[in-house]
Amino acid sequence: MAGTLQRQPTVTPARRLAWRAGAIVTALAITTLFLALSGRDPRLLADLVVRSTVGSRFGLEDLALFLTPLLLTGAAVTVTGRIGVWNIGAEGQFYAGAIGATAIGLFLPGPSWLVLPLMAASGIACGMGWILVPALARAYAGVNEIITTLLLNFVAGLLTTYLAVGPWHDRVTGALASTGRLPVRIPEIWGVVHWGFPIALAIVLGLAWLTTRTSWGYQITVGGANEQAARYAGIPVRARILGVMLLSGGLAALAGMFEVAGTVHRLQGGLANNFGYFGIVVAVLARGSCLNVLPAALLMAFILNAGIVLQTQQLTGSAVLAITGLVLFMIAIADELAHYRPVTVRPVTPRPATRAEVRP
Amino acid sequence: MTDPRHTQPDAPPPVAPGTPPILQLQGICKYFPGVIANQDVSLDIAPGEIHALLGENGAGKSTLMNVVTGIYQPDGGEIILDGYGQSFAAPQDAIRAGIGMVHQHFKLVPAFTVAENIHLGWRETPFRASAKTLEARTRALSDRFGFSVRPDAIVADLSAGEQQRVEILRVLGRQARLLILDEPTAVLTPAETRDLFRALRAFRAQGNAVILISHKLDEVIDISDRISILRTGRNVGTYRTADCTAAGLATIMVGREIVRRDLRARAPGAAPIATTPVLSLRGATCRDPRGVETLRDVTLDLHGGEILGIAGVAGNGQRELTQVLTGMMPLSAGEILLDGTPAPLADPAAFARSGIGHIPEDRLRSGLAPSLDITDNMALREYDRPPIGRHGLYDRAAAARLASTIVEAAEVRVPDLATPIRNLSGGNQQRLVARREIRIASRVLVAAYPSRGLDIGAIATVLRYLTELRDQGVAVVLVSEDLEELLNVADRIGVLFHGRLMATIDAATADMETIGLLMGGRPAPSGSAHSGGQA
Repeated sequence: MAGTLQRQPTVTPARRLAWRAGAIVTALAITTLFLALSGRDPRLLADLVVRSTVGSRFGLEDLALFLTPLLLTGAAVTVTGRIGVWNIGAEGQFYAGAIGATAIGLFLPGPSWLVLPLMAASGIACGMGWILVPALARAYAGVNEIITTLLLNFVAGLLTTYLAVGPWHDRVTGALASTGRLPVRIPEIWGVVHWGFPIALAIVLGLAWLTTRTSWGYQITVGGANEQAARYAGIPVRARILGVMLLSGGLAALAGMFEVAGTVHRLQGGLANNFGYFGIVVAVLARGSCLNVLPAALLMAFILNAGIVLQTQQLTGSAVLAITGLVLFMIAIADELAHYRPVTVRPVTPRPATRAEVRP
Repeated sequence: MTDPRHTQPDAPPPVAPGTPPILQLQGICKYFPGVIANQDVSLDIAPGEIHALLGENGAGKSTLMNVVTGIYQPDGGEIILDGYGQSFAAPQDAIRAGIGMVHQHFKLVPAFTVAENIHLGWRETPFRASAKTLEARTRALSDRFGFSVRPDAIVADLSAGEQQRVEILRVLGRQARLLILDEPTAVLTPAETRDLFRALRAFRAQGNAVILISHKLDEVIDISDRISILRTGRNVGTYRTADCTAAGLATIMVGREIVRRDLRARAPGAAPIATTPVLSLRGATCRDPRGVETLRDVTLDLHGGEILGIAGVAGNGQRELTQVLTGMMPLSAGEILLDGTPAPLADPAAFARSGIGHIPEDRLRSGLAPSLDITDNMALREYDRPPIGRHGLYDRAAAARLASTIVEAAEVRVPDLATPIRNLSGGNQQRLVARREIRIASRVLVAAYPSRGLDIGAIATVLRYLTELRDQGVAVVLVSEDLEELLNVADRIGVLFHGRLMATIDAATADMETIGLLMGGRPAPSGSAHSGGQA
């Protein structure tokens, strides 16, 4: 009779990966099509994008600089996702971390081996402080964390701008809407790539271990999968929610510290560059696995880097957002379609026993 | 169809010769990866009959009904409605064709009112759907079909029986001529069951048909006209109910003779009943958030080596009692003693560590994390102790070894320990939870409705687990709605009514009438044997 589609309850990783690869290719094909329609030569642009991202040393350095904050913000959103909480406020915690780090960097003179760890500690503390109220409200009063963390982003962004143009404004040059250049910087290891990059990589790997190989990680996983079952087993779910959210805030804040001390070297408005929001994209792509944050952040970094290249070719900056959205959209469709398999419905055959072996 | 018992007004209506069956299935096949769910199932449902579908857990009853209601597409075979071939691409098609199903797990919106739930996604819902209109329409439906509901009540506040009535009305309102009920009495009290059956007979009298999926043989014999039995996905026979006996049906269902043994008899060498109690409640009282007492002044002692049965109509404090005994709920008055010393305050992990296991009432919602794999679910009680948990680590290999031990002990066949546990059948989930809890229950096992929703074979297995544990000297608390089960298994039976422990009686001398009266809140009669079944 007729062919039909049937939904499978579970999908193998290989199958999902294949569908996602198809989704990315489709998204790129659509992008190419639109570029061609708007009168550009897609081959030339593609060549340029590849050469200036993965095809050259400068491209790779830029990729690593984009990757560093994305790894941390992506991990920040992923860890909260494991206990069923959405930290939409990585952007705000990123700013808080940058502010905390800058305060130490600007006003505490000293050797960099001492000042840098202090900046990191101060930044992380500020990031945790920034998420503390939403975390307490979520864990003990059940207040929706999506709204509270999101709204605090705007407060943090405006506070950063205020500090950069107001009290901490650079009085030496007076030209920039930013603080003065920080006296210390995270040392570089390869071109402009600083130590933040390997540290971020190590942190993501450490989190992958922490979330899957420790009792604490197990408690988080169970708490996220079924809160009632977690309570039944005596897991302190509220304390874990609080802990995970603080960890998340600290991770996003560390990304802010790295950005200010390793890449930008001064505090300025718009410093976070949407890295907090792109962290959500990374987390969605990673589907709750910290290890998956690595490829997901790489894809996101590649898109951001490609966007810069396209802007040099007189394409609008919004193109990056459009491409990101398209990729996410296609992947969401692919994730759902991966569940479906075509089956053929036909009347029972004289020897039906053979049909049972069709799909082992 | 001349069953002498059905000569009342609700009897099946006369059917003209040559009337096609409402539903005819021919050679339905349905396969899942690695599993034959249905193989060559043929079945006729005539107008004006209640057709029971019997079978063990995993026999393919639910799959077959999902095919009939358009949730699944058959891999082979034909569905014929009123003599015409049909294929349902979606559940809506089946509903339009007059087939309605009430699932074992209700599909209602808890935050909506009864009236809103009934009108949700219904073509005939008026455009101006004010609360008043919807409630009036609901009241009319309720009167017409004889299922009483409160239209303005929020579904989350309703008992399981009331929610089921809402589900049934929802289906009947959409002009269902074939009503499919999956385990409808599993969540009902005896009185609610009687009401349901009365309404089903009235429905049948109008020339409609009912397919009833059940495990309870007595009920099936009581209400159905014909019975079809599924075994390993195949229809092994359709019988006129008048020709059937419970024992005969059970034999066909499991494909082997069931041996009933007196489960109270100790195996030789079994541990005797301990003289000192292992767990005691002294004046235990609980209040819900509104300040209502849900458990009132309960005093009881649990001794190693005995099974204490807890009887009572659902919702009379059973949930609170099990939660108090397992450390999940704090007491608002009274105390709980473990080996004679006050137990830690409401700390389920500490209770588990001191050897108190808990088979929870609603295993999928509170005993398991459905989306996690079998390994993670089996580690739930032992993740924090060696060999799995050591120095804060979680040893996945050790957890997998534990899981395969439990799976082996439960005699459950699973494709792979990495399978999400929600993909297993309810019976298999229950067996796994039971074995997981038995492992840690070195002193006490609290089992809440462990046989609910299981077939005869699985019930026997779970009860055997409990008696074996008793013989090892563990104190077992068995909360159940099935009095026969309690009388067979328990040494003493406590009866709960409105949160109060009415009495604790010796099961060997107890009779159904006494327990029935206690369940209804009356003191036990002194010697008189009149009027049982007050529950």
